[in-house]
Amino acid sequence: MTDTATSAAMTLRSQPGHNGNTATATLLATSVVGSYSVPEWLERFKTDYYQRRISRAYLQEIHEVAIKAALKDQERAGVDVVSDGELRRDNDVDYFLARIPGVEIPHLAKTFYYDYYDAYVRNPLPVDDDSAMLGLVDDLRFTRDYTDRPVKFSITGPFSLSRRVKNEAYADPADLVMAFARILNREARALAAAGAAVLQIDEPFLAGYPEQVDLAISAINTVYEGIEGPLKAVHVCYGNRYARPVWEGNYDFLFPRVLDAQVDQLVLEFARKGYDDLALFKRYTTPPFLLGLGVIDVKSLQLETPDQVAARVRKALQVLPPERLTVNPDCGLRHVPPEIALAKLQAMSQGTDQVRRDVLGQPANSSREPVERSESQPTGNAA
Amino acid sequence: MYIELRTPDERMRGPKAVDAAPVLTEVLRAARDGSVDLSRLRVVCDWIQYRQNFRDPIGLRLVEPWPLEAVRASRNGDGELAARSAWEIAIDLRRATDGSLDELLHTLLRGETDTIARVPLEPWVPGSRSIIWGFNALYWKALSLWEQATGRGYEQALPGGKSDSRNVAAAQELIQQLFDVWDRLAARRALPDELHVLELGVGNGNQARVWLDEFQRMDQESGREYYRRLHYLMGDYSPHVLELARANVTSAHGDRVSSLVLDALRPTETLGFLRYKAFLVYISNVYDNLPTDEIARIGGHLYQVQVRAVLPLAVASEIAARLGVGAGDLPDLVSRLLRLGPALLAEVSPDRFPTVADAVVFWRSLWEGLRLDERYVPLEALDTYDVAPGVSGELLRPIALSSGDVRMHVSNGAAASFTDTLPLLHPLGILQCHDLIVTDIGQYATNFRGPGKYDGSVVNWVNGPLLAAIGSRRGFDVTFEAFAHRTGANVLTMSARARD
Repeated sequence: MTDTATSAAMTLRSQPGHNGNTATATLLATSVVGSYSVPEWLERFKTDYYQRRISRAYLQEIHEVAIKAALKDQERAGVDVVSDGELRRDNDVDYFLARIPGVEIPHLAKTFYYDYYDAYVRNPLPVDDDSAMLGLVDDLRFTRDYTDRPVKFSITGPFSLSRRVKNEAYADPADLVMAFARILNREARALAAAGAAVLQIDEPFLAGYPEQVDLAISAINTVYEGIEGPLKAVHVCYGNRYARPVWEGNYDFLFPRVLDAQVDQLVLEFARKGYDDLALFKRYTTPPFLLGLGVIDVKSLQLETPDQVAARVRKALQVLPPERLTVNPDCGLRHVPPEIALAKLQAMSQGTDQVRRDVLGQPANSSREPVERSESQPTGNAA
Repeated sequence: MYIELRTPDERMRGPKAVDAAPVLTEVLRAARDGSVDLSRLRVVCDWIQYRQNFRDPIGLRLVEPWPLEAVRASRNGDGELAARSAWEIAIDLRRATDGSLDELLHTLLRGETDTIARVPLEPWVPGSRSIIWGFNALYWKALSLWEQATGRGYEQALPGGKSDSRNVAAAQELIQQLFDVWDRLAARRALPDELHVLELGVGNGNQARVWLDEFQRMDQESGREYYRRLHYLMGDYSPHVLELARANVTSAHGDRVSSLVLDALRPTETLGFLRYKAFLVYISNVYDNLPTDEIARIGGHLYQVQVRAVLPLAVASEIAARLGVGAGDLPDLVSRLLRLGPALLAEVSPDRFPTVADAVVFWRSLWEGLRLDERYVPLEALDTYDVAPGVSGELLRPIALSSGDVRMHVSNGAAASFTDTLPLLHPLGILQCHDLIVTDIGQYATNFRGPGKYDGSVVNWVNGPLLAAIGSRRGFDVTFEAFAHRTGANVLTMSARARD
């Protein structure tokens, strides 16, 4: 492991939470990818906002209550590195586009909150305007105020943002991607300074454009330029919009070009598709990225058991040492009903504990609240 | 008093117009002479295009009070809840000119509804749980017996006398779309080894035969070699129908075709292995034949339409007399018929049904006489009402509130089938459905959309905006267009493709 990666790994595992706790000072730290279950009632309120039936202030209060509950769920499930569940976001793209100066969105109302806007870039973006921040730091601060655990903060990557914009400003579409990257770099620096334990760039659309990996990696490197402190992660999956894949294939397309990425961790989807792609980590050993191992299928409402999770982690341990593994769902849990999302995270933590105890001889994570299954908890057939 | 004419333009004016004036005159005269609170009376006139249906020319429906209304009534010292109920008189304009309307209206408006005698065959239930769907299921299970008795196949019994399943041009268009998608995937070396196509509801196999013949021909002409990678799956609820379809296609395409008995409401139970793999799911004339509830918005409140299958007393008495039983014995006999089917019923009750043909006569008589009583019950807390598994009633809110008062189908069966089929689609796959579809909620105000009776089965137009909303929430664009290859048809083409 290089010094950089070692340092990053130690950062993840020893990063104190807001109140000084070191909740992740164990091997095989568990985390979420980002989003957490969006209950139907919250969808209704969000849609009401985008149809101007309730005010932004009203919606913000609702979001804050929901985020506190999401944090509590993650803590109760025993997740070591938590997030705000991205519950403020309408979707993975518009939350950013609507804040980026120079992106024009003619119609701000939506039929359904999760729909994408029609967005345009008609003139080159003001990439050097240091005063134009996106306001994401406020989101991070709020989250840190309500949890002792290290916080992951995810940003949708410049390549994916560019795919949802009608570009009328740049002759070369790559220039738009890099403009987004420079704007996001400013924000990433601010998030690092505000105490994000993990920064993660999500590239949900990249799997559909395997020929564009070089461009996407260059842009990711620009976003992370000069960032010190947080673990720098990148998440690539096969899509999770409406809980559906947008592409089928394997992670071959990422390699070897992803080896040029100046990141510490790759957070990847495995549980739904199987673990064949672990072979890539055997084949490409340098740089020694950490692997965020997907052990929970977020496109299925079937509950994983702790034993299944443990088996998946053990399989990865045949390829990578425990120092290079963290454990997470395949992707965000936003489309999974609340009670199933919680149960899936519980299974993830319990399965990971099992490996710590049985394989590594470590005690279970003591920061975890005991979780008992009640009769009302889902069995996986709830949907 | 509120009067609504839910009637197409061509029935209100022009050469096909029905003269509604005498009907309305009779309504007003009866209202004048009756004792019902006119502020709580609705009169709804439909022009029902199905000659066979579940209604009498005139019917009465109770509108139960919305809870808040009852509270207000109580606070105002009006403890008589029934007094706060409203009534709806339903008139079929097509049949209301036979002279009986005046007498019936007066009977209803005098509140003497008990004199209109019926024999209930079930308790009040939401439409999708009515025994009419048991009859519908029995029809497809015992189709050969019904066809034997009537002397004609089910396709001949359709309104146009044929389905669109043999349309070559439609098949060619769809196949070309698939070829284009596969060419693009092949260029990126992302084309799977097996190319799956699924047909739900195979009928007699004509659609599959035409489609596969054309596929093979076009593939040979283009030299793409897709045919040898094709896997065509035929799924149907009826083993008998499936066998007929298999016989139709296996001689020419046997090595490319598999058939599976499956429940159209839950295709993934059988086809889970196909998740994200189907490039085409083709569904024709299935959704309009699946169970459905109806909801109504009346005075701004949402109601569920509850139904109760009944036989008019005269019909029930006649059927019962033929069997040597009392009319009160019929509900039990109906239940046994639906549970056992005519063949077994004849076997276990030879005294009443000496032959299977006698049991089929009983079945057909019941079907002909069957009516549905209706009432409106407040639909509270939409999130507790399931449109289909995984589809909350909340999805109905924006649709039901998009216009004024409306009565519409929920198409629960179609919604369940559609919802459970979408996960089978490859990211570049397409679901194509030919059916009777309402594309705008406003259309419920101008035409009767079911239930109608076909020969042994039920037909209801499908709530297109609801399916579009379900698709949208799952990342699919759902579009509707006229069936391009036959003019004048009511059938529309619904397509669903992944978006974003």
